[in-house]
Amino acid sequence: MLLITAWFHFSFSDFQYAFLSILLEGLPFLLGGAILSGLLEEFLPQALMTQLLPKNPRIAIIVSGLLGVIFPVCECGIVPVVRRLLKKGLPVSCGITYMLAAPIVNPLVILSTLAAFRGQGAWEMTILRFGLGLTVAILAGWIVSCFAPFSILRPGLLAPDNDHEHNHSGSGGMLDRLQNAASVATRDFLDVAVYFVIGAAAASLFSTAVNQEIILPLAANPPLAIVSLMGLAAVLSVCSTTDAFIAATLTTFPMAAKLAFLVFGPMLDFKLLFLYGAAFSKRFILSLALGLFVVIGLLCWRLSALNLAW
Amino acid sequence: MKNSSFLQGLRDSLMLLLWGGFVLWLSFAGQLATYLHPSLQNYTTAAGVVFLVLAFFGFRSLFTRPLLHEHQERHGHHECCGNHQGHDHAEQAKGHQHHRAVDGIGSMLFKTILLLLPLAIIVSGKATAYSITTIQNRGVVDNINKLPSAKAGAAVAVSATSLTKSTTSAFQSSPSSDSSSPVASGGPMPLQVIDMLYAVQMPSYRGEFEGKEVELIGQYIPLTTGNPKGDRFQAIRMFITCCAADAKPVGVTVQYPNPLKVSEMGWVKITGKPTFPMEGGHRMAVLEATKVEECPAPSEPFVY
Repeated sequence: MLLITAWFHFSFSDFQYAFLSILLEGLPFLLGGAILSGLLEEFLPQALMTQLLPKNPRIAIIVSGLLGVIFPVCECGIVPVVRRLLKKGLPVSCGITYMLAAPIVNPLVILSTLAAFRGQGAWEMTILRFGLGLTVAILAGWIVSCFAPFSILRPGLLAPDNDHEHNHSGSGGMLDRLQNAASVATRDFLDVAVYFVIGAAAASLFSTAVNQEIILPLAANPPLAIVSLMGLAAVLSVCSTTDAFIAATLTTFPMAAKLAFLVFGPMLDFKLLFLYGAAFSKRFILSLALGLFVVIGLLCWRLSALNLAW
Repeated sequence: MKNSSFLQGLRDSLMLLLWGGFVLWLSFAGQLATYLHPSLQNYTTAAGVVFLVLAFFGFRSLFTRPLLHEHQERHGHHECCGNHQGHDHAEQAKGHQHHRAVDGIGSMLFKTILLLLPLAIIVSGKATAYSITTIQNRGVVDNINKLPSAKAGAAVAVSATSLTKSTTSAFQSSPSSDSSSPVASGGPMPLQVIDMLYAVQMPSYRGEFEGKEVELIGQYIPLTTGNPKGDRFQAIRMFITCCAADAKPVGVTVQYPNPLKVSEMGWVKITGKPTFPMEGGHRMAVLEATKVEECPAPSEPFVY
């Protein structure tokens, strides 16, 4: 089965191969997020979340952005965790900030970026990635805080207890409590896995069928280079812990474009576009996608013009 | 409604059981190496075990369900628990039970098919390698600096006295590697595609095998450009960072004057001498082959 045009060559067996690879790679992380979600539901007291966050909403958003340093979760596992935290009372703005920032500010990602860009301004790139990722996530949180949660969340997401079946008394044995956690984890995993399967299919289609060499001529023009690498990040849907190794090899592209690749990819790729559907409304996801694309693109272009990001 | 809830619980537990079973089967059959970088394979295997644990809890939950229903009836709860908005868990009577929201039949069926789809692909056994289409879409890398982790690999290469770690491991895991391996018998030196690419950049490393007889395993790709005499092809391997989805083909040019009857992407074992001529103003790696023969795919198809 081969459809051939100048830039789009599709092979069904290659699509299947990439699809399975993405699934097998992402499953443990998605499952880890779902397990964490189940444990949070069973063992985290409802009021604790709101008690721990600063009372000032803006400062709470900033703190949420930095949570990823302490609670590192990659982009596949973050969605079930955020869903559960939102149900537990975390403000939507804080949840979105944590969700966008965590895959970038987590220590593993920092180390991998340092290692990948060794000899190519590793510290500058790592600091810029951390700073820009955190800034954009906080900005998104502040903007989201101006809107009502029902316009952002998937309908029914905050309806309590609609996906578990357990004893809240805490008086059950440990096995019962673990069963409760497992029950929530199972539901969360399967809910999110449906979107993950669709997202993995979309990412596989584009990563195998699109001729990736068509973007090479765009490297000489900074705005086009930035846009094209953000597009490539969305297409490749690579895990944020390893994406720096791929970005570092795009030697013909300016550093600002690589920075855009490293900030935009973990926040929104084809796989995430569908995964977010497990928690947020379609309208919000599209607005978020557009907003992130424009803001990250403009900030990287500005950095490029200022010669701060080469 | 109770039946629907039971069905959904049963579906969930069976799904986890199937996913766990398939993942562990791939793992124990050694097939995860076809999809994932070695550093990620243990995580996926662990996920398979966790699937089975969750399935156990799921079945246990189904078994204890009648008691939960009795409890609900005592507390006056209804099936449509998701419709009563916003109650605070902390203020609820202790010990109450909740129902899960149950998907409609159509939704449950759709999700079930979607979640079974990957398992069906695994069963088909066809999705285990890329065709030439994806290789062309991604472009063959013949410059080591365009590979992820190239610098780290280069450091290994420079510090190595003879061959890179990946070379040795690839041959150890290859079907042809046994007591009669080339190294053991004093035959041609086993070499990897990326060794030749490193050597293009590093004269000191090049000296280790330039002009010596080597043996290299790769996948055959016809060379359509820069091949006026028609006596060249490319031998490629897939280099992965994380999983096969990000695989990049890396290749060297092989010069072999004799006619070849090898299918595209077929595995070949090449015996010959590495050369590093200047062509078009650039130094490149060319393996001047004396013998090219088809061979089985190595058990570890990727280079890292």
